[in-house]
Amino acid sequence: MVEAIALAHGWEMQHDAQVVVIGQDVGANGGVFRATAGLQERFGKDRVQDTPLAEATIAGMSVGMATHGLKPVAEIQFMGFLYPALDQIVNHMSRMRNRTRGRLSCPVVMRMPHGGGIHAPEHHSESTETMLCHIPGIRVVCPSSPARAYGLLLAAIRDPDPVMFLEPVRLYRAVRQEVSDNGQALPLDRCFILREGCDLTVVTWGAMTVETLRAAAELDKRGISAEIIDLATLSPIDIESILESVAKTGRLLIVHEAARNVGVGAEIAALVAEHGLYDLQAPIRRVAGFDTIMPLFKLEHDYIPSVQRIIDAAELTFAD
Amino acid sequence: MSTFRLPDLGEGLAEAEIVEWHVKVGDHVRVDQPMVSVETAKAVVEVPAPFSGVVTALRGAPGDIVPTGAPLIEFDSGTVVGSMPATAAEEFVESVSLGNGRSHGNARGRAVPAARALAKRLGVDLASVQGGGRAGLITLDDVLQHANISATTNFAPAANGASPTPGARAIAAASPADGSVEPLRGVRRAMAQSMSLSRDQVAGSTVCDDADIHAWTQRGDYMLRLIRAMISAWQAEPALNAWYDSVTQSRILVAHIDLAIAVDTPGGLTIPVLRNIEQQSPDELRAAVALQKDAAHRRSTSPADLRDFTLMLSNFGTLAGRYGIPLVVPPAVAILGAGKVRDDAVVVAGVVQAHRRMPLSLSFDHRCITGGEACRYLAAVIADLEKQD
Amino acid sequence: MTTVAEFKIQYTQILDPSGAAVAPLPQFAQDLGEVLRMYRTMTLVRVFDAKSVNLQRTGQLGTYPSSLGHEAAHVGVGAAMRPEDVLAPVYREFGTQLWRGVSMTEILTYWGGDEMGNDFAVPRQDFAWCVPIATQTLHAAGAAMAFKILKQPRCALAYIGDGGTSEGAFYEAINLAGARALPVVFVIVNNGWAISVPVAAQTGAQTLAQKAVAAGIPGLQVDGNDVFAVREVVADALEAARRGGGPALIEALTYRLSDHTTADDASRYRTGAEVKQAWAIEPLIRIREFLIKGGVWDAAREQALLEECAREVDAAVSEYLAKARPSTDAMFDHLFAALPAHLHEQRLIARKYGSKHSGH
Repeated sequence: MVEAIALAHGWEMQHDAQVVVIGQDVGANGGVFRATAGLQERFGKDRVQDTPLAEATIAGMSVGMATHGLKPVAEIQFMGFLYPALDQIVNHMSRMRNRTRGRLSCPVVMRMPHGGGIHAPEHHSESTETMLCHIPGIRVVCPSSPARAYGLLLAAIRDPDPVMFLEPVRLYRAVRQEVSDNGQALPLDRCFILREGCDLTVVTWGAMTVETLRAAAELDKRGISAEIIDLATLSPIDIESILESVAKTGRLLIVHEAARNVGVGAEIAALVAEHGLYDLQAPIRRVAGFDTIMPLFKLEHDYIPSVQRIIDAAELTFAD
Repeated sequence: MSTFRLPDLGEGLAEAEIVEWHVKVGDHVRVDQPMVSVETAKAVVEVPAPFSGVVTALRGAPGDIVPTGAPLIEFDSGTVVGSMPATAAEEFVESVSLGNGRSHGNARGRAVPAARALAKRLGVDLASVQGGGRAGLITLDDVLQHANISATTNFAPAANGASPTPGARAIAAASPADGSVEPLRGVRRAMAQSMSLSRDQVAGSTVCDDADIHAWTQRGDYMLRLIRAMISAWQAEPALNAWYDSVTQSRILVAHIDLAIAVDTPGGLTIPVLRNIEQQSPDELRAAVALQKDAAHRRSTSPADLRDFTLMLSNFGTLAGRYGIPLVVPPAVAILGAGKVRDDAVVVAGVVQAHRRMPLSLSFDHRCITGGEACRYLAAVIADLEKQD
Repeated sequence: MTTVAEFKIQYTQILDPSGAAVAPLPQFAQDLGEVLRMYRTMTLVRVFDAKSVNLQRTGQLGTYPSSLGHEAAHVGVGAAMRPEDVLAPVYREFGTQLWRGVSMTEILTYWGGDEMGNDFAVPRQDFAWCVPIATQTLHAAGAAMAFKILKQPRCALAYIGDGGTSEGAFYEAINLAGARALPVVFVIVNNGWAISVPVAAQTGAQTLAQKAVAAGIPGLQVDGNDVFAVREVVADALEAARRGGGPALIEALTYRLSDHTTADDASRYRTGAEVKQAWAIEPLIRIREFLIKGGVWDAAREQALLEECAREVDAAVSEYLAKARPSTDAMFDHLFAALPAHLHEQRLIARKYGSKHSGH
């Protein structure tokens, strides 16, 4: 997946001179995960810039650059280091267009690794997308495959508004897929049906698509046909597609790595309860990270929902 | 005539106190001329004249508290500036709604979730129900109505074996005008099931006696004393703390006591289980009992706390009743009931004395427990209860 | 032991409080027409300011941050900038904004609770008011980065208050600017007070200008009540930055003669004697004296100017008060370039229940 992200950067920088890449170690080093590898050689130090080690700087200068003729694609090294930038994201980036009545806008992409599962140190493994999804005026996108990372990143860079682009670290190198570097963007604000099914709808995103698809294969053997939806754009939520699937299956399970409390899963459950309750044959269920601190890596796989947890929750929706 | 009302002088201030008027009735004031000093929670501020005019009235004296929005001063004023115009609500014609071409009339009957649950209980196949709600939605009424129709037309119930008999439906159909059909739910439904099971399986027998608790130094906690007595009796006679498997006709003597205690609540009978009571201190037991009673009343007893008891206790005497015939719930084999404690005339060394006594009723499954075992157990319960403390 | 670094902070004053030149006059100051133009804007902003406070006191404006006493610093900076430069203001630099073309009606519209006031007809590329303290300094640095990459001969100028220099974002911004030699000038308006906390309680530094030293950029101090000095020092810094000479940090020393905002009461935390002292050296006196000495000003002309300013302000106030309340849709407008689907539904709800209240 990480190569697909580098490819998308390269394509868009080649075709749009306004696109610049900034972040810590994105230049000569090509990014700590190598997502910007080779870009500085190709496009020079002006367009691929290492920033000082300061996240508020990265977000704040992105605002200034975006309002004055550039399209910054900024990398935050880990989601746990995003928080100093939140002031800029909440107070400026997200609302620049709205508060200046369209006079200035912020076509910024902020990329950051998301989630755990790679034995990283403390603060490197959180999934705090909910915080971002609560901010009006920005999009939050989380791809789940190399092809979707490529197509959605292109779409994010081309989008005229700020996009938070969360990259599941578990998938950076774990998933291999042929991606054609053709500049084709995928739609934002739409989810992707990864597997069709008729008994149960499972909505998930990011790295959890892997465990969820495995669970679906096992459920299939047990006679349960699960439809797997990759939410992909976490804000705004493509609720239409989810409702359509739930109308077909009558059951909904939501799987996410982030803590359960007030998570994106809660929003999906609430929307389905509001708009699709009469289609439900069983209570909506959630499988999520625990409402605990993300543990250090010896326990991280106890935190991240397992295939078995997903299977058990899926079967519970048939218990009534 | 114009009225100037006290504006919100800070951010969300509810009132201000008049400190000093700088104008008086009859004064010609010019716009922006200092008019009055007021003190708010945040600051002392000068309020200037909002427009030019002649003062006709001051609403309030120094020291008075004026609520935000209340009249402060009246003017005889020609032109009024400063009233922000209100805009009329716009008319709009737009039809946007969720529902991306999805079909509301899908093949499976759409039903209110509660109706779906009711249909399952009544054995009603939703596919055969005509939905009377919006866009064919099946409601609770639809399911009930359908159940009545089914009863009279002898409609075949769903073949899951759990459906009520046509007779039961007929009772629901013919419900008297001043009654209402209430499908049993939750703990009431659980009681119906476990009592039916008891009636169908257990060979019940009951033995009664009284414990003389005259020696108690204080009134004591009946529930705790009963629990202690049951632990003591188990040590004397372990046979009653057991499960009976009727299929294999075998009994399992359990090495610890998980005691179910009957809790009466407005919602019905809840029987939460106290685990490993033989290992707990009186304080721990007291806390556990309180916790479970509270949970039962709040209807928040966890399903896990309702399962796998080895003995049962009903302290029905706190309400009324002397002896009873408690019903054993399988696979457990015994239940102890405690009646209302009262003063009895007892003969002590040939003399009649008034002693407090607690009536006890022990039911046991005679398939598994002998009369001797039951009586030895009851004797041990009494012996412990009759101790001073 | 050897000394590896040393620093000096230069202070510039051209007119003393009496209006006497204590340094050679810059070229612009030799053009009395230009000086009159600056004086006129300083007077206009003061008249506008007093009216704005009154509008708030009579319930016709929201909380308003007065700029009383800052006229020289603000107008001096405005006059030093070129139209194509970009301003990142805090929230009270009305003198700069009026000079650059922002209208009084726009200012009132914003502080009257309507984002339409941020949609400046001129200058289109300036940033809007910035309430979260110090965050604007990074925007200016980012804009400067854009000018550098796009090879545009433009500068960004960010304001910050004395209190704002305690914020991390400020240090990050001057650090970035220094590290990348960006065409940006930071102006600290040191008015002595961060609401109720005096400068001495904000920092152990002798001057705020010396904060530039750690960022590796020039730090300068200027008499912020001297419009000549401010304009001269800022213009020099902007020109240096425009030519690739990198950023500068300028500390303008002035005094906040007003409360922090209309929601504040400064008498709770500072003495009348201090304020009285500050009034004696306030910025309008010395430039007026300079004009009188130059023979182009007198009491009659002063009176005429005040009346002219009042008429101009009244016209802006009338225009502001006549503005229709924004449509409920406004909060959905420009939220995104194209409104996402779920917000259509929320907009319908807002339309149904909004716009029912009259007034503000």
